[in-house]
Amino acid sequence: MTGIAKSLTRMFGLISKELRDLLRRPGAIISLILGPLAIMAIFGIGYDGERRPFDTVVVLPANSTLPHDAKTYNDLRAPGLNVIDVTEDRQSAEDKLGRGQARFIVIVPGDVEDKFRAGQQATVTTEFNEVDPIEDNVARVSTQMLLEELNRRVIEGAASEGMRVANVAQPIPANVIAQPLKYDIKNRAPIEPSMVAFFAPAVFALVLQHLGITLTALSLVRDKLSGVMDLFRVSPVRSWEMLLAKYVAYGALSIAVAFAVAFLMTNVLHVPLLGSPERLATAVGLLTFASLGFGLLISIVADSERQAVQLAMLVLLFSMFFSGFVLPIAEFRPIVQPLSFILPVTYGINLFQDIMLRGTRGDPSMLLGLAALGVVLYLIDAIGLRGIMRRAR
Amino acid sequence: MVQLEDVTCRFGDVVAVKDASLWVGAGTMLGLIGPSGSGKTTMVRMLTGTLRPTSGTIHVLGEQPVRFRRETRERIGYMPQQFHLYPHLTASENVAFCASLFGLFWWRRHTRVKQVLELVQLTEARNRLAKDLSGGQQRRLSLACALVHEPDVIFVDEPTAGLDPILRQTVWDEFRRLREAGKTLFVTTQTVSDAQFCDGVAMLVHGSLVAVGAPDALKREAFGGELIEVRVEGSAQKSVVDRIEGVRSVQQPAKDRLLIVTDDAGVVAPRVTDALNTSGARVLTTDKHEPSFDEVFIELVERSGMGEREEVAS
Repeated sequence: MTGIAKSLTRMFGLISKELRDLLRRPGAIISLILGPLAIMAIFGIGYDGERRPFDTVVVLPANSTLPHDAKTYNDLRAPGLNVIDVTEDRQSAEDKLGRGQARFIVIVPGDVEDKFRAGQQATVTTEFNEVDPIEDNVARVSTQMLLEELNRRVIEGAASEGMRVANVAQPIPANVIAQPLKYDIKNRAPIEPSMVAFFAPAVFALVLQHLGITLTALSLVRDKLSGVMDLFRVSPVRSWEMLLAKYVAYGALSIAVAFAVAFLMTNVLHVPLLGSPERLATAVGLLTFASLGFGLLISIVADSERQAVQLAMLVLLFSMFFSGFVLPIAEFRPIVQPLSFILPVTYGINLFQDIMLRGTRGDPSMLLGLAALGVVLYLIDAIGLRGIMRRAR
Repeated sequence: MVQLEDVTCRFGDVVAVKDASLWVGAGTMLGLIGPSGSGKTTMVRMLTGTLRPTSGTIHVLGEQPVRFRRETRERIGYMPQQFHLYPHLTASENVAFCASLFGLFWWRRHTRVKQVLELVQLTEARNRLAKDLSGGQQRRLSLACALVHEPDVIFVDEPTAGLDPILRQTVWDEFRRLREAGKTLFVTTQTVSDAQFCDGVAMLVHGSLVAVGAPDALKREAFGGELIEVRVEGSAQKSVVDRIEGVRSVQQPAKDRLLIVTDDAGVVAPRVTDALNTSGARVLTTDKHEPSFDEVFIELVERSGMGEREEVAS
């Protein structure tokens, strides 16, 4: 009984020391609590989810029967394009593209209708200058959609002329001939998709992982470098007591920050929380547990604070690419995909999006996976810290 | 209480401690004296169980340090050479933290923290952050941390390094008080004159113990007996003194000065005075010479032949 009481005394002392040591550093508090909130706020304010359209110049010969005013083109159902000028001068349009004054030019030949009547296709050329693969894709899709619209215009004109000549009793409207099928899009997601709502849970998960990792990645390194580890080795404290104390101290702090961020996220940024808060809390707890374990692993491996920070940043970078934060995991080659699941944030993003945006209880395999990852990391840390404590003995 | 037998510690090719044998009884204070790099800290680390000796056996409180039980660890106090407590905790929080590490319950902790801070004269600074304390205050804080759980054996590594003479005296006074309270102290120091405060002294040079014993015994060992210093008017004749019974050797550092090693200074001094006066020399003073520990240390090191070896790691 006395042994348990002494063990609790030691752990309480360690927990209290960790918290006091951390809370006495205002810089750390600011970066811990205000940092994640600032990231969320900047993301919410600065990102409206609307893609900026390409400033476009249409090059059209003077004799073309196609419209010569920018408004007509902007009224076409060709999203992604903002026609700023319609000109006959191809060279000046290309100069604008070169100078960055325009991002997209459409070169329409003068003989479109003649060729159509002659049963030939005319070629519309589009030019742009994008190195970003996503922008390149958007530009190609915009080209296709613009072409569809232009085709529709050409067919519609020709059809209406044909109907007059045929003089049928019940003429079929030209727009029906031109576009026999129409589309009706339905999104069955329980929320109106928005970039903020979609990315907020992912940012939340990433912030929580990074917080947990950076908090613990440095704590043990400081102990190792300051020489206080010698005092621990001489004292009756055991490695598992130290480890548990660090989990409790930093876990409490991380979860407090998580709740503050979650509250502001749902009440200020109005990110929906369709699932149960208890389920979200469970996911937050597991993500924190696994992230602290990851940070402690870095702390055990690192020989200096600089190395610990570098490793924490590498994990952040790895998370950006491989957690599904930006690119879907399914788009990676199968051989690489398992790597994603060594990151707590991969599970966190999946669970947070499911619970918050779809209102489900979260994929049980993800919950179990995250818990298992946390336990594995705890065991590795326990073995590592035990090694450090015993190394000199 | 503390026992080492033929203990050697190597770091690769470097021998940090070589064939050291030592015994420290309960309730005594042993000073381990040696220059920087002589192996003092290595010795303390082996005694506290943070370093395994390459060969030989060590027992502290009846156990091998590397296999200390938790209960045994609670009886050990350790003040490391470098201050490495938590800079963002206050003085009293640092001491309370160390107390909790050694399993002191909160009701006892509160009293003990107050007591030890008073003891090391840090009561007024108890609410100041450790980083804001002066170097001397930080050393005293480290000492308070080592004492807070009332250990039976206290290992103190260079406690007076960087302290002013008054504070140094205060620290040694505290060690004496602890010894009188029945504690066993193992104190390392580079300051040879600190030997005067200890019950026993071990001199460590290049990892080897060149002398172990009580301070007075070491003085005798260093010079081969008790010393008499004689001053005469004019010139003293060394050959007159050489023949006196009880005189072991005579040195003449100056024309008018003789340094005589004797079996018993009290018996031999009058004989020396008589012999010199009879020979025509006028004796001005005949005193028992108390060599400083610096002299003793130098003499013992020179006699051991350790003076010219390479410095070893600590």
